[in-house]
This record gives sequence, structure tokens and C-alpha cells, in this order.
Amino acid sequence: MTAPVSGIALAAVILGLALSTFVTRTSFLLAGAKLRLGHRVEMALRFAPVCTLAAIIVPDILIHAPGRVLDLSLVNPRLIGALAAGLWLCWSRNIIGCLSTGMAAYTLARLCL
Amino acid sequence: MSPLTVERRAAFRSGQRAIIPSLFGAAAWGLVSGVAMVKGGLAVPWALMMSLLVYAGSAQLAALPLIVAGAPLWVIVATGLITNLRFVIYSAAMRPYFAHLVARRRAALGFFMTDFTFTLFMRHAQEGKLPEHRDAWFAGVCANNWITWQISATTGIVAASYVPAEWGLEFTGTLALVALVGPSLVTRPALLGALVASAVALLAHGLPFKLGLFCGAIAGIAAATIADSLRERAPPDAEGA
Repeated sequence: MTAPVSGIALAAVILGLALSTFVTRTSFLLAGAKLRLGHRVEMALRFAPVCTLAAIIVPDILIHAPGRVLDLSLVNPRLIGALAAGLWLCWSRNIIGCLSTGMAAYTLARLCL
Repeated sequence: MSPLTVERRAAFRSGQRAIIPSLFGAAAWGLVSGVAMVKGGLAVPWALMMSLLVYAGSAQLAALPLIVAGAPLWVIVATGLITNLRFVIYSAAMRPYFAHLVARRRAALGFFMTDFTFTLFMRHAQEGKLPEHRDAWFAGVCANNWITWQISATTGIVAASYVPAEWGLEFTGTLALVALVGPSLVTRPALLGALVASAVALLAHGLPFKLGLFCGAIAGIAAATIADSLRERAPPDAEGA
């Protein structure tokens, strides 16, 4: 199956998307010299990684793609996988172990529940 | 080789090593993005071009249904911009660390910044573990992440027809993010920020363009900052005890 779009249009779309990545990723880095953020904002930005990732991760786990409904049940395979990964993290910082544990729990739950 | 070059190379290699544990997540995410682009309807050469030039899995996946549906260019680019809004926050957070560099170098480091490389950088910065040549260190982090993502995305694009969707390989990407964020949840403001961010993102998930993510992030950062400033203002425990 191929997208029903012409080559030139696709090239334009890809260049446009590339530009959207570049502009957002370099925005403040390039404005850097002229822009002073102030101490308060810089202190606030220390929490940017934790908060942004939480806002990505939690909906990813609890909201199922087909139908996009909230699934808080304990038989949600993604929730089981993430809980297993979180438990592993309490015990060890090893990321590979965390991924393996999470995927194993997720796959088991997906096949068995 | 001058001593400076030696130091910068050492920093670069140290960055390359620091990202290794996250590379499995990056590889899985790249593989999934590659598979999804082809399964979603892009011909192989276009999918390859997209992963090389755009290098942003979530924006690529969000734009895909629009491309296939033949949506107007500005709608697709706007979707890309809004999906990438979190990078604006990231670049603001990294700004103080790279303000001394020339613009060309800041632009290059910014282009290669991703969820994984940014979070790793900030964690090392907060733990005081960045070497003196932090730009060289971050370049090493980004180099390994980029190579891994490109190889796995290309593999995914080429092998798309052999990977069953039920495997849910994309979940590895989510788990890798869990592993990245987990160690930062040790302070109360951070924990509160994460909870507020999650709740708002869940409530706002119906918004188009993944705007819920952005609202969640902003609300979480605000909550964490307020909690943090209250904690600073409170008298130290030792005085009362």
C-alpha cells in the first residue's frame, strides 16, 4: 500500500516535519545569547524532564490506542508491565533488566489475561 | 594532539558510554517507528528519508495518518510542531549549559536532542557528574543515540512485513522512559510534579495534536515549582526540634 500523495508533496511534508523538529529543538538554545530566563524559570525547568516524561508515560500506559479509552483495570497488560518495571527499578538501576522484566510481564499478561 | 583535544575526546567517549543502557529503548523505539511508517502506508524510500531528516519518532507517528489521508501540508507541519512542543521546554532547560558556545554548535547539539539524550544530560547535570567539556560529552551521547536509532529504524523499514504488530514492541520505548524518569522521583516536589503532570495529561488526552502532553508537562512543572518554593520558605526542621 502506498500513500495516495505525489512525490513532490511527500518531499514537502518531510521537509516541513524536519523543520518542525529543528525549530522546536533549537528554539531556546539559539535564542540563548539574547534571552535571559531569570532564576525562577531556570529553577522551574529542573522539573521539566520528570514532568514531561510522566505526561508521556502515564497516558501511554493507561489509554489504549484502539478507541482511546482509559483502562485502569489490573488486567491492563501495559500497566502490569510498567509496574513490574517500576518494582525492578526500586531494587536495581539496571535499565536492561528493567526493560526485560517489563516486557516479560507485559507479554505474559497479554497472552494469559 | 593538544591536551584540549585529548580531553574533549575523552569527554565524547564518556558520553558514548553513558547512553549505552538507554540504547535498547532507543533501538526498540526506532524499530517500531520504522515498522509503523511502512505499515502506515509510506513507500520504503520515503520512510528512509523521513527517519533520516525528521528524527523524531512521535512526530513521525503522529503525522503518518494525516499524510496517508492526504491532509494539507500546513496541517501536517502544525501537527509536527505541536507534537514537538516539549522540545521547546527541553531546549530552554539546556540553554544555560550551552550558552557559551557558538550558534552553529548550539544548533547542532539541539538537532540531535531527544527525550532520551535530554533526560540523561539533565540527570548528570543535577548529580554534578558532567565533565568540563559537557558539549563534547553530550555530542557523544547524541552520536550513539542517533546511530542506534537510524540503524534500527532502517531495519524496521526494511523488515516491516516480518514484524507482527501484536508483539507491542513500541512498549519497550515507554519502559525505557520509565527507567529514565524513575531515579528522579526521589524528592517530594518531583513526585508531586509527576503526579499532577500525569493527571492533567490523562484528563486532557482527548485534545488533538498531543496537546494533553504539553498541558500536563506545564501543569506538573508549575506544581513542582510551587511545592519546591514552599519547602524553601519553610523554617528548617532543626530550629523547631
